[in-house]
Amino acid sequence: MSLFWIVIRQLAEIEEQMATSKKVFTREEWEKRLNDVKIRKEDMNKLVMNFLVTEGYVEAAEKFRMESGTEPDIDLATITDRMAVKKAVQCGNVEDAIEKVNDLNPEILDTNPQLFFHLQQQRLIELIRNGKVEEALEFAQEELAPRGEENQSFLEELERTVALLAFEDATNCPVGELMDISQRLKTASEVNAAILTSQSHEKDPKLPSLLKMLIWAQNQLDEKASYPRINNLSSATLDDPTV
Amino acid sequence: MPSATTNSHRPSELLSRLASSEPEVKLRALREVKNQIIGNRTKKLSFLKLGAVPAVAGILADSADGVVGKNNCNNDINNILVQSAAALGSFACGFDAGVQAVLDAGAFPNLLRLLANSNEKVVDAGARALRMIYQSKLAPKYDFLQQKNMDFLISVLNSENENVSGLGASIITHSCQTSLEQKALFDAGILGKLVSLLEGGSLSQRDASLESLATIFRNNSEVVSKFVGPEIGRSLSSVIDLAKDRHPRTRLLACMCLIVIRNTSPQLLQNIGIKTKLIHILLELLDDPGQVGDEAPFALSSLIAQKEDLQKLALEANAIDKLQYHLQRGLLHPRRHEGILLALADMCSKLESCRSKFFSLQALNLVADALTNDSADIRTAACTCLKSVTRSIKNLSAGYFMNEMIVIPLVQLFLDPSTSVQVAALGALSNIVVDFTTRKSIFVQCGGIKQLVLLARSMEPAVRSNALWALKNFVFLADNRLKEGVFSELTASLLSSLICDPEPSVQEQALALVRNLVDGCMNSVEFVFADDGLILGAVGRQLQRASKPEIGIQGMYALCNVASGNEFHKEAVMHQLFPQMVDKNQSFMIKFLQSNESQLRTAAVWTIVNLTCPSSPGAYGRLVKLRNAGIISQIKKLENDPCVDVKLRAKAVQGHSEAFGVQPLLEHQTN
Repeated sequence: MSLFWIVIRQLAEIEEQMATSKKVFTREEWEKRLNDVKIRKEDMNKLVMNFLVTEGYVEAAEKFRMESGTEPDIDLATITDRMAVKKAVQCGNVEDAIEKVNDLNPEILDTNPQLFFHLQQQRLIELIRNGKVEEALEFAQEELAPRGEENQSFLEELERTVALLAFEDATNCPVGELMDISQRLKTASEVNAAILTSQSHEKDPKLPSLLKMLIWAQNQLDEKASYPRINNLSSATLDDPTV
Repeated sequence: MPSATTNSHRPSELLSRLASSEPEVKLRALREVKNQIIGNRTKKLSFLKLGAVPAVAGILADSADGVVGKNNCNNDINNILVQSAAALGSFACGFDAGVQAVLDAGAFPNLLRLLANSNEKVVDAGARALRMIYQSKLAPKYDFLQQKNMDFLISVLNSENENVSGLGASIITHSCQTSLEQKALFDAGILGKLVSLLEGGSLSQRDASLESLATIFRNNSEVVSKFVGPEIGRSLSSVIDLAKDRHPRTRLLACMCLIVIRNTSPQLLQNIGIKTKLIHILLELLDDPGQVGDEAPFALSSLIAQKEDLQKLALEANAIDKLQYHLQRGLLHPRRHEGILLALADMCSKLESCRSKFFSLQALNLVADALTNDSADIRTAACTCLKSVTRSIKNLSAGYFMNEMIVIPLVQLFLDPSTSVQVAALGALSNIVVDFTTRKSIFVQCGGIKQLVLLARSMEPAVRSNALWALKNFVFLADNRLKEGVFSELTASLLSSLICDPEPSVQEQALALVRNLVDGCMNSVEFVFADDGLILGAVGRQLQRASKPEIGIQGMYALCNVASGNEFHKEAVMHQLFPQMVDKNQSFMIKFLQSNESQLRTAAVWTIVNLTCPSSPGAYGRLVKLRNAGIISQIKKLENDPCVDVKLRAKAVQGHSEAFGVQPLLEHQTN
């Protein structure tokens, strides 16, 4: 990531200049320095496209492609399929999601036992949520128990999940967090990542890690200098240094 | 009552729908079968038992013919092709019984036909299914020496479709075995194609390419040197770069490829930086919770095996701490458990510093626990590890291993149903019984000797040989009481038949056992005279026809030890040297004295030293007899032998002859 190295290089240069005392940069000085940093427009566009594609904003990606001429590094049609899977899990239609993944690429669930188990576990959670106790028990016994035999940690997770059945109010029991919507989101993002990996695509967009680097770099710099800082990441405005 | 949805998914009911003549019904049933078995081993097995594989393979065959026959590309047929190929691929995924069923059902050629289909989805499904098959050992092999197979391979590798070119790489990994095939692939320019997949391909193409590259390089220094050759920078550094890739599996495969290159051409990748890097990457990969972490210790093992320098570097990188840490966490995947034990075995195979680290971390208990593991591979690995760490003379001398925690489970493994476990257990025990303390009794008390003798009668040559090895080490420098215990259990008749075993390695160990039995006090020598000298006779006969120098060495040392006994013993040895006065040219003594093996020459001359020692009354007679057989003149030639041992003994024999005034006979000019 070239942007990252530019930040680091800048940081190193500044560090050299102020070996001892904490230097103060005025807004003008700082903006001048920032203007000296050359970042290619295409790189910025790629970064945006990477974000849109990875997060699955297919329409935005399509528009962005037309407007900026940036080619996505993945077939946009596959994004629609991936999003359909993600959405199905988020809505609790796990069986549907599994079938969609298998249509997309049967290897994903066949070679990823942990993901397969988590999807089946989510299916069990949904059955419990819908009060289908008998069906849930049967499903746990037939589909999940054999996976538990194959893997000790699956067995522990299965036991935790089945424990939901023991409580009148499953949402307010010690393992209630499994019933939470965040559990669905967790499973959905696991499937999303697996599909991306199967498409030789990175599972996380680059932009968030770049922002993390920005925060890290500013924190490092804070010890050495006072400068107009970016505190609000969404507006990226420079706040004057507090002297 | 169970819900209707679950019921309609019952395998048998689904199967009947597969046979439906309605394409719609058939298609839905196919898709359901596929969705039920993906990721689910239990379901694969139950569908397999119901005969689902031939049914699906039949549908694939019919539909594939339909495409060719009617030459139409209608959606239904393509969908049926995709779903049936996906189902067959899933049956074959990580499941050898499934692979076998798919092959038996004749699906392989039909899946191959799908690669030529005009519909991309059909091609994908076919290639994926074939790739699954090629993950298994059961997949059909391609003979690359046949031009048509090579052409097929090249066309597959050149495909734009990522699954198809990946399939090509998998076919190489699976099929290429001989150096001729490696050379043929190289000559056909396959390496260039693989390198381009490495540099510009997708994740799965890179991984597949790394695996096939390793296959083409393995033990073929010619191909490796050509690969590295003038372009040392580019291709090799692509592989090195991938060892730092963000994907753990790619890192592992790149490391494995580099290890193959290094083990094949030791002069390559010698700089300390890359060696240390490989060790660090592999140790880090141990933390991966999945298959990569399971395979990482095996790669580490192949990197450090037999190489002291790498073991030292790995020790400095805290490899033993790390392996021990994973071992003590418990609940390991069996494959990982086995790998970690084997890596520890290799780490501790040569250096005492590594073994000290191993003991300081209390790792021995963990290894001892693994001796009773359910998996035969893990038990074998635990024994192998034990064999390495018991090479520590320091700990051996302290009697650290001769205790209930180790010896009892080891002796129990003698009766293990798996031969490889038996052999490995005997190997470990062989070290432990070379005990210098008086604790050998623990082994006797737990019935160890009886078991070893039982195993010496095993049908498996490797078991017989290792059992004798353990017995040999057990009687090494043991007191006569222990030797008698062993001998009475073993009996002269069994030992003499083992000396004449059909297997050379068994003969060698049996003779070595005799050698150690008769070593030491005069009483020990008597063992070979039991039952009218049955054993001594067997030793003599085996020396007459010794097929390997190793057999001659052990047999000759046995005779040498007997010849150190009294007058009667010495005469008995003379009798073995000259049975019914065979032609002197055929005497094995002459042959041994002329051998290229210095150990064999040493043993032979030493025997003569013992036979001609001037303090014994019959020495003169024996000297004359030996001289007449041309042996003394043969020994005279050894007075300037390059081996100091031989030289010294030959001078001693010369001294003995001079003491009696016996001159070597001049050799007759024969032509």
